[in-house]
Amino acid sequence: MEAFEASRRRSTSASLRLALLQFVADPQWLIPSMIAPVIFGLVSFELFRGYGPYFLTYAILGAGMMSMWGQTLYGSGWATGQDRVFGTLEPTMQAPTPYLYVVLGRVIWNVLSGLLGGLIVYVVVVGAAGGPPALPDPVAFVVLFLFVMLTLAAVGVVFAAFYVYTRYAGFIQNIGEFAFYVGTGCMFPVVLLPFWTNPIALFFPPTWALDALRYASIPGYVGFSWGFWPDLAGAVATTAAYLALAGSIFHRVERHVLEVGNLADY
Amino acid sequence: MSGLARDGPAIETRQLYRRFDSRKGFLFREMTRTEALKGVDLVVERGAIFGLLGPNGAGKTTLTKILSTLLLPTSGTALVLGHDVTRETDWLRPRMGLVLGGERGLYNRISGRENLRYFADLYGVPIAGRDARIREVLERVGLTDAADRRVEEYSRGMKQKLHIARGILHRPEILFLDEPTIGLDPKSARETRKLIRSLVTDGVTIFLTTHYMFEAEELCPRLAILSKGRIVARDTVDALRALVGGDRTLEAEAYGFDDREVDAVRALPGVSKVVTEEFGPMMRLTLRVRTGELTLDQVRGRLPGHAELAVRERRTSLEDVYLDLVEEEAR
Amino acid sequence: MTEAAVPRASFGRTFWTNAIFAPRTTLGFMRIDFVLGTIFVIPLTQMVFFTFVVQLSGGANTSVDGLTQLQFTALGNAVATVTYSSVFSVCQTTDSEKQQGTMEHILVSPASRLALYFGRGLIPILISLATVSVGLAYAFLLFGVPVSASALPALAVSVVLTAFAMVGFGLLLGGVALYLRTSIILGNIFLFAGLLLSGVNFPLSALPGPLQYAGYALPLTWGLAAIRAAVLGQGLGSLGVLWAAVAAAAAISFGSAIALWEVFERRALATGSIARF
Repeated sequence: MEAFEASRRRSTSASLRLALLQFVADPQWLIPSMIAPVIFGLVSFELFRGYGPYFLTYAILGAGMMSMWGQTLYGSGWATGQDRVFGTLEPTMQAPTPYLYVVLGRVIWNVLSGLLGGLIVYVVVVGAAGGPPALPDPVAFVVLFLFVMLTLAAVGVVFAAFYVYTRYAGFIQNIGEFAFYVGTGCMFPVVLLPFWTNPIALFFPPTWALDALRYASIPGYVGFSWGFWPDLAGAVATTAAYLALAGSIFHRVERHVLEVGNLADY
Repeated sequence: MSGLARDGPAIETRQLYRRFDSRKGFLFREMTRTEALKGVDLVVERGAIFGLLGPNGAGKTTLTKILSTLLLPTSGTALVLGHDVTRETDWLRPRMGLVLGGERGLYNRISGRENLRYFADLYGVPIAGRDARIREVLERVGLTDAADRRVEEYSRGMKQKLHIARGILHRPEILFLDEPTIGLDPKSARETRKLIRSLVTDGVTIFLTTHYMFEAEELCPRLAILSKGRIVARDTVDALRALVGGDRTLEAEAYGFDDREVDAVRALPGVSKVVTEEFGPMMRLTLRVRTGELTLDQVRGRLPGHAELAVRERRTSLEDVYLDLVEEEAR
Repeated sequence: MTEAAVPRASFGRTFWTNAIFAPRTTLGFMRIDFVLGTIFVIPLTQMVFFTFVVQLSGGANTSVDGLTQLQFTALGNAVATVTYSSVFSVCQTTDSEKQQGTMEHILVSPASRLALYFGRGLIPILISLATVSVGLAYAFLLFGVPVSASALPALAVSVVLTAFAMVGFGLLLGGVALYLRTSIILGNIFLFAGLLLSGVNFPLSALPGPLQYAGYALPLTWGLAAIRAAVLGQGLGSLGVLWAAVAAAAAISFGSAIALWEVFERRALATGSIARF
């Protein structure tokens, strides 16, 4: 008997479709997904109000990052946590496609909802300020904003492995939420942090990407001293490293959970 | 050579051990170690239903998860369809189905059909025939009418059927069923057993765990009994009957027997074993008998003076075999 | 069986059983290291984050309600982190019961609902007290928030009242979870809402009118105001008003929680949503 051949691309699209179906079946998550960006936008606006001519850009980027962190990064892992709660992690892991490709589908969904969050932040901050920020190159801003989202997605993929690894991942991520905000410099440049924390921050692709975005959209911005292009290169390199390592990390995590036998725990 | 199908048994395990360690406490970590499987040797032939019986906690689910690639053994080897379950999962997973059953393990917020579509995609069921295949399995498990309802609205029996539908969706060569009828009403359980029997005619090997004796007797030509992580017997039902002392079981009941009477019954020709048990004021002697020559009158003859004596005969049931073997292991 | 022979758990027994047992059913309370993380790590990182933002915006030394902006923000976030151990954790307990299928068994029991829900609040109240205390210690030691020894008794009263009010609010949201699939959504909303509407990072007066009114409906707003007043050494006159407000918020929260649990219990039994998550 010839077995069917599982396709990774198809598994990813099936996972994306499942995320959409589950969202439609239970759209109440739309509420925090929409309220959080509004709150982050207003808090950020209020905190940065009056900080130079480009405070609006700071406010949008900071609130956008906080919002996308929740929806893109945390959301990707949370969906795996839900697999544990539903008891579907075991049958999904038992399927022939590596679980990584199921996670990818969810990350794509979370990127889409993260973009919605980013858009809400923009509208809220612009609404509060009574006008749009002064952007030297709006197209570059949008493109780089999407790129920041991709770097977050890359981190989200790796973070999802943590949720496969242990049922406690959500709590650990909750405890580390603000530490992550600090470390990645989502509201302020990491150069403001003590020097010894900088190497840690540089392991995160979003830190590089966001710094590049600030260079491109805030004239006179002083972030990492090496400027826009090295930042962009750093973001590409770290993102590629995360994606390249994801397969190996998932493989190791899968071996670990099969050894420990905790797939059914929640 | 992992890409090729191999001859040989459907399942073969050698000295399979599985240990679970759990820790609790913060400053003073206390470790608890549980040995779920203690050297399981098992061979299951292809193309039939093989039953694994055992009490709760015997290690049935642990063994099923190891064989279905969801758990790694601590030591020992396990081959399914001739392939190693720890190293050749890429080859094995498309060819095996797993039904763990129960209330969990399904996406409750979406319909049964959508659940199946998702897993059909993960298993690579050809897109051209996917919807037809989903309709086919829904029809087969009797869920056609409920296919588009949310799973959270399903009864336990319907969920069980959906679990089975998912397990057979990708036409596996071997299907692992862990307690498939647990919690089902008699009608649903009977339908499920009928469905399981029909799968074998398709050439699927079925590895079924249960602690319902009648179910195992009805479905499984060969079975094994697992107790405290060890296989205590493995054979056909008839051979297992012989193992515990015979195909015939005679029971004698009265208001108490003394030791002399029990010894006298035990000395009867063909009696291999006598079990005594008390229930209320009554006492029962259960005799396993190897030969067909021993008559009820011979038993009555050894138990004179009991006006209320009742002696009857029945066929040794799988439950008798099971209880004998599990109790023997416990001793 | 006669009426007298029907066993019934006393109020005290139900209270203690729920106080000790219920938190252990939720992952967040199951491990002491996570509880310690909630008490020691979350306040510090949240305070560091927002004070860095204040530093970048250049207004760290601006005067706000008797404190510098940096001190104001540090103190606000020290107290705001109580939302994790009160609102968020209590919501999580309800969700966890639903996921494990134990909520139906609790609701079918004859136990006093008052004892049951109050009992469930005990450990979160203790953890909330610890979280705010640690947050205040950070504010004093690391962010230069002036706390004089004479202010400590008033501060203690403010902290205790705030912890009660916040846990009551958590129970209130947990009651809604009987009807919704999950209450973590509500927990999330109020976690964020506190940052904006409760005067955590900037005074309520900076917000537009309607948002200010929304802020006054949150217990955190009153608790934070009482704690800030105590830190500033305000007299019993103004403190008393704030304490009364926090106590009222606690009473309203607990009272509404009990009422809501009854309403949503009936509603959940009618719709079957108890078993959905």
